[in-house]
Amino acid sequence: MRSLDWVVLFLTLGGIISYGLWRARGKQTTDSYLRAGRTMPWYAMALSIMATQASAITFISTTGQAYVDGMRFIQFYLGLPIAMVILSMTAVPIFHRANVYTAYEYLEQRFDSKVRLLVSILFLIQRGLAVGLALAAPAIVLTVILGWSAEATTLFMGVTVIAYTVAGGVKAITWTDFQQMLIMMFGLGMALITAIWMLPANVGFTGALAVAGGAGKLNPIVTAFSWNDRYNIWSGIFGGMFLALSYFGCDQSQVQRYLTGSSIAQSRLSLLFNAVAKLPMQFTILLTGCIVFAFFTFEQPPLLFQKNAQARIEQSAEYPALKGRYDAAFLKRRAAAENIGNDREAYQTAHLEFEVVRKEGSKLAERLLGEKGFNDTNYIFLNFVTTYLPVGLVGLVIAAILGAAMSVISGEINSLATVSVIDIYRRYLKKEASDRHYLWAARGATAFWGLYAVVTAQFARNMGSLVEAVNLLGSFFYGGILGVFVLAMYTKRVGPWAAFIGVIAGEAAIFTLHYSGMASFLWYNVAGCLVVIAVGLGISFFEKRPVA
Amino acid sequence: MIEEPPPFLKTWSRVYTAVLLYLVVLIGLFAWFGRAWS
Repeated sequence: MRSLDWVVLFLTLGGIISYGLWRARGKQTTDSYLRAGRTMPWYAMALSIMATQASAITFISTTGQAYVDGMRFIQFYLGLPIAMVILSMTAVPIFHRANVYTAYEYLEQRFDSKVRLLVSILFLIQRGLAVGLALAAPAIVLTVILGWSAEATTLFMGVTVIAYTVAGGVKAITWTDFQQMLIMMFGLGMALITAIWMLPANVGFTGALAVAGGAGKLNPIVTAFSWNDRYNIWSGIFGGMFLALSYFGCDQSQVQRYLTGSSIAQSRLSLLFNAVAKLPMQFTILLTGCIVFAFFTFEQPPLLFQKNAQARIEQSAEYPALKGRYDAAFLKRRAAAENIGNDREAYQTAHLEFEVVRKEGSKLAERLLGEKGFNDTNYIFLNFVTTYLPVGLVGLVIAAILGAAMSVISGEINSLATVSVIDIYRRYLKKEASDRHYLWAARGATAFWGLYAVVTAQFARNMGSLVEAVNLLGSFFYGGILGVFVLAMYTKRVGPWAAFIGVIAGEAAIFTLHYSGMASFLWYNVAGCLVVIAVGLGISFFEKRPVA
Repeated sequence: MIEEPPPFLKTWSRVYTAVLLYLVVLIGLFAWFGRAWS
């Protein structure tokens, strides 16, 4: 990065954080720190919800995934608008009326303390594991750009986020997210426009679509059904809906965003805005990845996008021959792409030949680096940004990526701290204390989870596509948690023990499904949720009903 | 707690219906886009 990029990067990040802290100024209480005193308007919550979900992973990994696998990943979000409608109808008014700090607090009101404790622990395990992944993604960014060690980059990111999250609480997080989301949208739009602008004059936008489409990248809807296919319209609508219901309805990192709403209507509007805006946003991100693919069809990319791996294979004896074949395959594909209008099949054949050589490069890196399943998907977009974007814009896009990362991490450590303090500490360890005591406990818990994230991020790198790793991890727990909330909100006869055993049975079913390899991870949520409901309802028929 | 009406379309059920119709249109557009370029 050049000097102007550094200036843009630090001014953008500094401005965003300062604005968030300024909006959170004033005397703090536990309520204002964890729920913003229930004063937030819908637009701030809406962008905060989006920002908490749209992580750095969204930028780095999703664009790379479109480059490699096409646009079919968008189907993952098809169930989201349906889930948002269901949650606006049910969860939002229930949580608001229950006047809770956490979603799990409501489970004690409906069942009893053991169900609340079990689900709180499941959340802490799942979110605690994922927070390291969320921090690892931006560490990749800084490692590539600055040449810093991975440890130093994680520490830098973690300490920055911990500072403003501990100081400002959920209000600072929400307003920071609001700004970060605006920067993200702007940065993304500029990256897409630049990618289109840099295409050869005789190709243009429609030519780029023809090239990407010819290589099978423009496949946003796949109707063929398979239990093991992660991305088709059916798993997207049904599996995606269950995942979105779990994530936005039962995951404290999201629920906490709309619990800050000043009314039921404001919270509903924030979710419905996401229902409308999420798919177009993901489409734009994936399209950017496809346009970058088209760009690299005419401009030769490195054999591997990860610079360290590229440097390593260049030292090997096999590299000169492989490079010769790679150059030839690139030239052949480019010539075929220029003639795609006349001979589409020749282009497709040339593309497959090119991919074979690139895979050989990956295999070579895998062998030389000792990294099983070597994958440079997460480096594709970064390589494009840092190599081809004009000065100043690089700094802005990197600020957008870092902002995205910070919004996720801040939301996650804040929610982890809230559950730790409200559902565990205040409920079991220190029942009677002053508001000031719990405020400081929340600050301390936020700092603890932030440091925990920094440590676990060290283990989260090299996990292939990070976006899939995060979603896979979530799928282990979301189904079970969603099931118990369905029992709580939609049934009257199910009692505490039925719900408790139901959750354990649901989790057992999910892990059985995973280790047997019977279905793709998107179905874990559906299966886990259905098992919890079935077992909960089944047991409730044998339970004694309380006499009215 | 009194439920506020939405700022448009008068009732929440109409807003929900509009969101679901929007989803159907979006899926149709995606399918058209895929067919047009693949």
